[in-house]
Amino acid sequence: MIHTLRTSFLAATAACALAGGLLASPAFAATELTFQRFFGACDADFGSNTDVSKAVGECGIITSMVNKFNADNPDIHVAVTTVEWPGYDQLTAQFAAGDPPDIVTIHHSALSDYQTKGLLLPLDDLLAANGIKPADFTDASRNGVTKDGKIYGLPIDNWTMLFHINMDLFKQAGLVDASGKPILPKSVDELLAQAKQFKEKTGKPYLIQNLANETALYTRNLYTYLFQQNSDFFADPTKVKINTPEAKKVVEMYKAIFDQGDTTKDLDYAASINAFLAGEGGVHLNGTWMIGDYNASAEKPGTALNKGGYAVYPYPQLFSGKHAQYADGHSLAVSQKDRSEEQTAAIGKFLKFMADHDFDWSRTGHLPAMKAVLDSAAFKALPHRDTVAPIAELGTSLPGAVQRQFAIQDIIGQEMSAAITGQKEVDASLADMESRINELLANL
Amino acid sequence: MADAALSSPANRAAPAKARVQNVQAPLWRNALFVLPFLVVFVALLVVPLVWGIWLSLHKADAFSSGRFVGFANYVRLYNDKIFWQAIGNTFYFVLLTVPALAVIGLMLALALNSRTRTAAVLRTVFFASSVLSVTIVTLIWRIVFVPGFGLLATVYGWFGAAPPAFLSDPDLVMIAIAIATIWWCIGLPMMLFLSALQQIPGDIYEAAALDNANRWRTFRYITLPSIKRTFVLVVVIQIVLQFQLFGQAKLMTNGGPNNVSKPMVLYIYEAAFTKWDLGLGAAASEVLFVLILIAAMVQFLVSRRKGESA
Repeated sequence: MIHTLRTSFLAATAACALAGGLLASPAFAATELTFQRFFGACDADFGSNTDVSKAVGECGIITSMVNKFNADNPDIHVAVTTVEWPGYDQLTAQFAAGDPPDIVTIHHSALSDYQTKGLLLPLDDLLAANGIKPADFTDASRNGVTKDGKIYGLPIDNWTMLFHINMDLFKQAGLVDASGKPILPKSVDELLAQAKQFKEKTGKPYLIQNLANETALYTRNLYTYLFQQNSDFFADPTKVKINTPEAKKVVEMYKAIFDQGDTTKDLDYAASINAFLAGEGGVHLNGTWMIGDYNASAEKPGTALNKGGYAVYPYPQLFSGKHAQYADGHSLAVSQKDRSEEQTAAIGKFLKFMADHDFDWSRTGHLPAMKAVLDSAAFKALPHRDTVAPIAELGTSLPGAVQRQFAIQDIIGQEMSAAITGQKEVDASLADMESRINELLANL
Repeated sequence: MADAALSSPANRAAPAKARVQNVQAPLWRNALFVLPFLVVFVALLVVPLVWGIWLSLHKADAFSSGRFVGFANYVRLYNDKIFWQAIGNTFYFVLLTVPALAVIGLMLALALNSRTRTAAVLRTVFFASSVLSVTIVTLIWRIVFVPGFGLLATVYGWFGAAPPAFLSDPDLVMIAIAIATIWWCIGLPMMLFLSALQQIPGDIYEAAALDNANRWRTFRYITLPSIKRTFVLVVVIQIVLQFQLFGQAKLMTNGGPNNVSKPMVLYIYEAAFTKWDLGLGAAASEVLFVLILIAAMVQFLVSRRKGESA
């Protein structure tokens, strides 16, 4: 009896081992790729969705796109790691440890940090092998990912900051013209006057800003209005000149808005989105990526945005210089490491898939990276694309050679926040801002 | 010669005597017993410490060990206002948390030092927060503090008031981080005090009761002196721990607004990983190491001298 048991146990073990061995053998194994991205996690809603057209928002769409790629390509498995935005501290540590993901989301503005260290794979050949030509990209996207004449990331979009508008409150404030369009300011004085009028009529702040321990918003606002004054603050990419009268004008404008109580003050990013969705202010300063979500909310009966409608516009031109606003873009970069031909081919296939689905991604609100999508009727027919279309021309980035743009963003945000909230004098903040950035850039 | 003759019997007896002594004497092979610990200690503490000192003398980033720059990184730290601010923030945080942890921990221990079921349940409850990770702790406290939708905002809302901006007011952020930290860390001091209280012999209290000593005198002259060593232990452990504040500040305020809640470890993290300035980060770590060492030693020496003079 015992002997029989032992024999059958051994047989079962052998069978398991054999089956395990077969499953693990290369002939059956899918090529594994690791994809590290920000854009948040939303597995509860879209974890198994493969119908990309049903997905909404950055997280929903990218999750569904990867699901669809995995479903369409049983020989490849893309494993996703989601990181807290923007995830560069983690990525840097992964590169330093020699364990970077295969594919990773990197802002155009952060590519040069990694490219200058030789950590990213030039993609020209891989893209060409998959039928993607540099000429297929929009100029802004191609310029954003091209460093030293080579392409270091598949551009998936260009984005910028926008005026997301609650039309119900704008009507109450008398800031809507005869054609039903919101009246936006054309100068700093008009901005302050309209903000004042808005508050008097609605009792709510004109701007919803996420100012609590925030740095990105401050920085993008400053860059935008420096561009509009033709201030070439990064004429030398290794030395900033930002302690200028132009910068002072911008900081004083935001300080006046803050001091008059025409902005929300203590909200963090998530709270600012909730505040706008709840109708607690007129204009939310946020990026292209919110258009899809806000539009979805506006279509839902009973919401604050459904009441009077939702509109979205580029930042108003407040100064007499060049018509411009700060823009950046997202790209998919590939880490430099030893790979088999299958793995490299699989990466190429994935990038091709993402490029082919650029229209789906542009439903988030971002400007597409592919020229054909930008020019397509389908894209132009998406909600609000008529009012935000000018950003394709307005979008301006920092010079590509400026390194550590996220660390610079932290410094600008901290100093601007200190000046605007009254922790520090404006002049002292600008002086510290300039010296801190230059100290950083002098020690690369 | 005579000496030699006299000593010779002793010499002859020496081997036997030595063999007997060797049973008690230190043996090099006994080091084998501590070797497993020593290997880990050297590999994970001593080597990184030396490596850190070496790095701090170099202009290095995460991808290259760079070139030797002598004390340049320390000079940059000395000239960096934010670094001084971070040191100040760290001391302020230690001052906010350590006395509170020691006093509240002792009070909880005194209150819960009984054999009732309620006390046992409450001990578990107060210790429970210690098992949570820093991510969960900060998430909980963010939900409490977040303006507009947080617990505090809701409660204030009932009275038509706006809550204090605990996560963005420069005067309040450190206090908010301290509150979250005390809530998180209170379990260990309480347990240490409890174990100390339970070692005080009951007959001393009986004697005090017979002498009609009131509760304050009993506490002042019996309990406190008996747990003095534990008190020092708690304070030293907490100083060392709270000097290393990082996760709560990173996750609740990210060091803001404008660096008023940036502790030294967050400064080190940002130097090394956001600015990629590993040498500067290493230099700041060495400064932190020395500060923790000094603070713990001062505390230890002061309390020992007090103890001896008492």
